Amino acid sequence: MKSKLLALLMLAAVAIAPARAQQAPSEIRIGQLYASSGPYASISMPVYDAFKLWVDEVNAKGGVAMQAFGGKRIPIKLISYDDQSSTATAATLYNQLITQDHVDLLVADSGSVLTSVGVPIAKEHKQFLFDVSGTGAAFFSEDNPYIALMADPVSTIWPHYISDFLNDEGYKEGIRTVAILYSTNDFTGTQAAALKGFFERDKKVKVIYYQGVPTSTSNYTVLINNIAAQNPDAVLELGYVGNDIAFLRNLQDSGNQFRFVFSIYAGTEMEEIEKNVGVSAMKNIFSYVPASNYEYKAEEGMSQKEFKAAWEKKYPPGSGVAFGANAIYGYMTGVVVQKTLETTRSLRQMDIHDAVFGLSGKLKTLDGTFELRKDGAQIGEVTPLGQLQEAGKDKLDLIAVYPPDLAHGKAILGK
Amino acid sequence: MLTGALIAGVIFGLYFTLVGLGLNLVFGVMRIVNLAHGDVLMLGGIAAWALFSAFGLHPVVTAFLVLAVFLLAGLPVYYAVVPRLLRSRDAEMLSLILFFGISQMIEAVTTIAIGATERSLPPRLMGVGPIILLGTRLPKAWFYSAAVSAVAVLAVYFYLYRTRLGTLTRAVMVSRDEALATGIDVNLVSAIAFGISLALAGIAGVFAPFIMGSITPNMGVALNITAFAVIVVGTLGNPVGTILGGIIYGVSVMLMQTYLSSWANLLPNLLLIAVLLVRPEGILGRKTRRA
Repeated sequence: MKSKLLALLMLAAVAIAPARAQQAPSEIRIGQLYASSGPYASISMPVYDAFKLWVDEVNAKGGVAMQAFGGKRIPIKLISYDDQSSTATAATLYNQLITQDHVDLLVADSGSVLTSVGVPIAKEHKQFLFDVSGTGAAFFSEDNPYIALMADPVSTIWPHYISDFLNDEGYKEGIRTVAILYSTNDFTGTQAAALKGFFERDKKVKVIYYQGVPTSTSNYTVLINNIAAQNPDAVLELGYVGNDIAFLRNLQDSGNQFRFVFSIYAGTEMEEIEKNVGVSAMKNIFSYVPASNYEYKAEEGMSQKEFKAAWEKKYPPGSGVAFGANAIYGYMTGVVVQKTLETTRSLRQMDIHDAVFGLSGKLKTLDGTFELRKDGAQIGEVTPLGQLQEAGKDKLDLIAVYPPDLAHGKAILGK
Repeated sequence: MLTGALIAGVIFGLYFTLVGLGLNLVFGVMRIVNLAHGDVLMLGGIAAWALFSAFGLHPVVTAFLVLAVFLLAGLPVYYAVVPRLLRSRDAEMLSLILFFGISQMIEAVTTIAIGATERSLPPRLMGVGPIILLGTRLPKAWFYSAAVSAVAVLAVYFYLYRTRLGTLTRAVMVSRDEALATGIDVNLVSAIAFGISLALAGIAGVFAPFIMGSITPNMGVALNITAFAVIVVGTLGNPVGTILGGIIYGVSVMLMQTYLSSWANLLPNLLLIAVLLVRPEGILGRKTRRA
């Protein structure tokens, strides 16, 4: 009986051993899209370059040590395609990554526009989507477990410090009316709608101008004149990099002045905006303070300073892609992917989902605390409101001014 | 707001006259559509950015350099591409395909060379602050760009109607075959017109950062659509009609931004469709189509 049992155990061991060995893949295939050209290149390329930096860093150590395969280090193979900022091309390429390349992990292109086409495709194929910075609220629903937002809070939450500030400190200083001008896409459209809702709910500051413009808009002169005709105290312009460049230049050229002006990329891609509009057009503009300008204590991965040094070593200044918030998002996505791979039970997509959600609230990176809502929306990395304040001749600093517990300085409102 | 939109539209539209002028000249003389026109404009903008970044060259100086360089560059490009194209059975249609390919090449090479992100010139180069016209605040750069456009239109008019080469050009515009039969060096005349067209696009490009905020390698395709709308509205093949097309486009954009801003990017396509359905020969019509 004893010998029979021993034989049975040996047989089972022989049967299981090769199966386990086969399960450990020779490489982890990660699929990612990027846009080397087109209107979203300036937010996509920093993400892609930073993600590549993370891949190189991991592979230099032999790969990711995966518990699912006994702690064995498995190298990453990055399969990436250029969608050229086209949603049609991106849709084809998302499909290709899933059905032809059979990637283990799928990482979306940067921003809501190019992520929007990937969300339904990933859901249909039951492939988990690492959504880098597609913050559109419509992407997240409880019936879709195949998505999680890595960096940036979901658009319905992200702008609440703007309305909180205006309703609180702004109101005390006499701010009563606001104009909202936004580009009509998932990213800024959702933020604009959320802001309008916040103001209407709080009934302090009144929205007197609320207009959408195509994301391709490159001239705001007449729009600014029309806003000035309404005489608002605050102007919130929500657009992509190209929109913000045109808006800030036109605002300066028009000579119109408002007490409070907000633009997303004046702070989040400060280097890029400064080189195109100049310091004088950015002075006292309010913006989000991204992790590239605010040091969070990183418990996983590099700190902001270490990452910036690594970035500048790999991509020296002048090499084409500027360091900014999107670079942080790309690297931070790499850190989440790494922790996911380290802790997942297997490469099955629902196990990937469980591993990602298992990090929620526990993972602290250079982008703040990674925290997910049930539907995959990011709710932990809410950026403070900041202002570009003069810090010497031809130099601006992005100072966090709200909320008070995160503030490094006081806001300067125009007369 | 209506007055402001109308005033801004006229000034803004004058710049787009310059954007469309060269495209219309090429169509008028050669009956081909240069779909790389917007990319040539982009190259003018890149030249202004590069020369300012490297040598601090003022864009007005760059405009003269671009005029000379693009004009000269147009001659070999013409001889390399156009005569062969014109010998084909359907030159107009083939030109669309060929120049679309050239457009894609220019965009790709520029992206490789300088990257895909936005480039611009400091606003101070054209003077910071507005010029107030009938209560409407407009950037100084708009007036300078409109003035350059007006000078370019006058120069093209002078060239076409007051020079011998212009007379020959108009002869080619009326009938290429008849011009050839009368002994005109049709290729030389066309090559010069092609060079002028590139130079006009290049000059428009130098001022593009001040009108459009920034320049990117991919901006050419959208500019082609706009330029095409401008010249179709004004009348294809009639460079003078481009002024009208540009102003109609500018005023329409500003009115759309004022009253229906979300739909403003549909405008070039709407104008194209409307003109092609209602008055396919363009607003100035057939009588003035051929110089």
